[in-house]
Amino acid sequence: MRKGLRWKIILVAAVILLSLFLSYPPGEKINLGLDLEGGMHLVFQVVTDDAINIETDQEITRLQDQLKRKNIEYEMISKGELGKFSIQKFNPDQEGQLRGILDDYFKEWNYSIIGSNVNLSLRPNVAQYIRDQSVNQAKETIQNRVDQFGVAEPVIQRQGLGGERIIVELPGVDNPERVMNIIKTTALLEWKLVKAGPAPDTETLLQEFGGKVPEDMEVLKGDPKRTEGGYYLVSRVAPITGQDLRTARQSTDEWNNPAVGFSLKSEGGRRFEKFTAENLGKPLSIILDGRVQSVATIEDVIPAATGGIIRGRFTYEEVDDLVLILKAGALPATIKTLEERTIGPSLGADSIRKGFSSMVMALALVLIFMVFYYRLSGFNAITALLLNIIILVGALSYFKATLTLPGIAGIILTIGMAVDANVLVFERIREELSLGKSVLSSIATGFSRAFRTILDANVTTIVAAIFLFQFGTGPIRGFAITLIIGITASVFTAVFVSRLIFEIILSKRKRREKLSI
Amino acid sequence: MKYKFIAFGFSGIIILVGILNFTAGKGINYGVDFTGGTLIRLKFKYPVAVAELRQSLSDIGLGTSRIQEIEKGQREYIIRTAQVVGEEIEQEIEAHEIIGNRVIEALRGTDENAAVEQGLKDLNSIDGREVTALLQNVFPDEASEMARKIISFRVNKGIIEDYAQLQDLGISQEAIDYLKDNTFLSRLTVLSKETVGPQIGQDLRRRALQATIWALIGMLIYIGLRFKFAFGISAVLTLAHDVLVTLTIFSISGREMNLPVIAAILTIVGYSLNDTIVVFDRVRDNLKAMRKYGFQEILDSSINQTLSRTVITSGTTLLTVLALFLFGGEVINDFAFTMIIGVIVGTYSSIYQSCSWLFLWKKIFKPKKGLGR
Repeated sequence: MRKGLRWKIILVAAVILLSLFLSYPPGEKINLGLDLEGGMHLVFQVVTDDAINIETDQEITRLQDQLKRKNIEYEMISKGELGKFSIQKFNPDQEGQLRGILDDYFKEWNYSIIGSNVNLSLRPNVAQYIRDQSVNQAKETIQNRVDQFGVAEPVIQRQGLGGERIIVELPGVDNPERVMNIIKTTALLEWKLVKAGPAPDTETLLQEFGGKVPEDMEVLKGDPKRTEGGYYLVSRVAPITGQDLRTARQSTDEWNNPAVGFSLKSEGGRRFEKFTAENLGKPLSIILDGRVQSVATIEDVIPAATGGIIRGRFTYEEVDDLVLILKAGALPATIKTLEERTIGPSLGADSIRKGFSSMVMALALVLIFMVFYYRLSGFNAITALLLNIIILVGALSYFKATLTLPGIAGIILTIGMAVDANVLVFERIREELSLGKSVLSSIATGFSRAFRTILDANVTTIVAAIFLFQFGTGPIRGFAITLIIGITASVFTAVFVSRLIFEIILSKRKRREKLSI
Repeated sequence: MKYKFIAFGFSGIIILVGILNFTAGKGINYGVDFTGGTLIRLKFKYPVAVAELRQSLSDIGLGTSRIQEIEKGQREYIIRTAQVVGEEIEQEIEAHEIIGNRVIEALRGTDENAAVEQGLKDLNSIDGREVTALLQNVFPDEASEMARKIISFRVNKGIIEDYAQLQDLGISQEAIDYLKDNTFLSRLTVLSKETVGPQIGQDLRRRALQATIWALIGMLIYIGLRFKFAFGISAVLTLAHDVLVTLTIFSISGREMNLPVIAAILTIVGYSLNDTIVVFDRVRDNLKAMRKYGFQEILDSSINQTLSRTVITSGTTLLTVLALFLFGGEVINDFAFTMIIGVIVGTYSSIYQSCSWLFLWKKIFKPKKGLGR
């Protein structure tokens, strides 16, 4: 045996062993995609306008404080479009002082003074930063919640650079409604005094206020699951909010119904103590995401260290979820669902079965055809093909690629297309043989002349697959990846390995006049 | 080459039909991926007639939903709810979700909804954790093992038809009786539920079109590098032809355009070019080898020389796609169907179209240096 041949055999054997090593054991090395394993695929959009609004509100409060401290007179502060507000009718004599405050403490804002009004708008780069941060925070909060709920290997990532979308993939989850609730709840918790209600409609609610909502109050709906529903008139200011919470835990009320127990941070606790002392006997509501959860009368001063409970016709499961959400923190902005796909595990199992049975069928059909058409050389092509599949599986394991149903389709397609290179070579060899050339030289010319064609033909398919990868998400990417790897491997197996097999066969034979092709 | 005008005419007619169908006819039937909406896959315990499903959906005002039976036996269905025309895009997906839940509730029937009201759990939909928690009340030691068996049986079968089936799993009669008292077996189970908002759909359409066009441009550039420009143009024209004809046949078939179908079309772009390149490669060789012959003869013999290869590879690819079409199951069926059309069209076009474009190019532009390199 020639020396070059030995090295080639060693190389091929090494590739086979490496592929087998990488892909063993197959159950652990290859990740199944959501469409095969079952699970949820969610796409959310973070409403970053919310974050800008919250920032504006906080800045207005800060400005009011500053103006009060410096005794600057003005009529009112009013909010304009997103990220804009204005100070109306300030005292023109104090313009210098006002400018000083704005220059020193409100650097994030552009302002212009027109007459006795000041218009402020958030600088675009600051706004962009706030939006970006809110998406990051939302991502972290979702991550926290998912972790606490307990999902194995969740994927939570931002879509694209600077995008406002968050992709969440939760394998194996089969209780979609509960998960959606946990993720989507903004979890903005507020305690507010109830001024009137509940009433069946806003008119009855506002009767004693002359049909108008007073300046310092707002109308909220009762959560239909927790209360009788209807409308409540509550104070606009919340003395304490979810940010003052130290912990939340499962608890029960005095009738042993499930409730959420909480304790407050020291500063919030003191505020709560003072607040309850000032408002004894008044009804206090607990509001989650703008919906009234429950109303209770303040019967005693609640000492700072005690904390309290949130009551509201909860089931134990709902209490668990609410505790989880409160612990994980509030979302910085509301999130909208853009896409929700839930695949049950049995559909996935079915797809795996069917995918594999069609793969076996495809393989069998191609094998039979090749042997029927190319006789003994057909076995050569088959060996190359089987090796191709081994390499493909090994490479998929190495890249930690996710196998999806379209991915299985990609493997099946590779089976069909991989023999293409073999066919090109064999056809060339047949042509050369029919011209009366010897077996050896036919094989040599066949391979060398077909190589350029094989390269061109496969590169184009790979180019298409790369665009497909760019375009697609999850399952489609799985398809593109298998196709790319499969086709690349087919060039190796069909050109290098097939040729090697011919060489081995011919080197062992004395008579070299005939080739079964 | 004799048949080139017949071939052009034939393809022209198909594409014309396609254009008419897209503009004046029903056009492409876009699936949930593109239009937004809810797609629910259900499996029933026993056969349920389409008419019954339709009636239940009509009762809640969703009679226009599409109902598609998967596999014979009237047990598995795909239901696509009619599109919600919401004023605010933002609210639409929530509306879809609500409608999806209403569909499931309606098909479940009143008896079962009553069982849910009573606090009974549906053993056909609760997760392993809940089954364990339930069984732990009475069988603290074996609960998790029993739950695992039950869930894996359910995953395999899709739905538990009868409590008696649990006996075969080696679960004690006591446990089964306990489950009977505390759970019920819904007549249906949701295999999958996909809700897509309209924003995603719009996004996807744009990206699908972009990807196809960029892939075509990528091909043009690659062939431009490897061959003369005329080859690149002819190849891309052939590809565009393949995509258009495939889309036409696809739209006439009434199947739904979804993500895997786009993947199939892009794959066809790559695959069909593969065939064309093999022919062009031979033309390039023959332009050198057959200098004495006329252009048309060179083209003809190139096609003939590669004919067996073209037919064989298309044959093997067709075999595999056919296997996928017949055995791959419903989820991948549209993909396999599109691939079958694409492979056939691609083979036809590389034999009858690609060289004809090359011929026309030479006739119209008369390149001085010839097409060889």
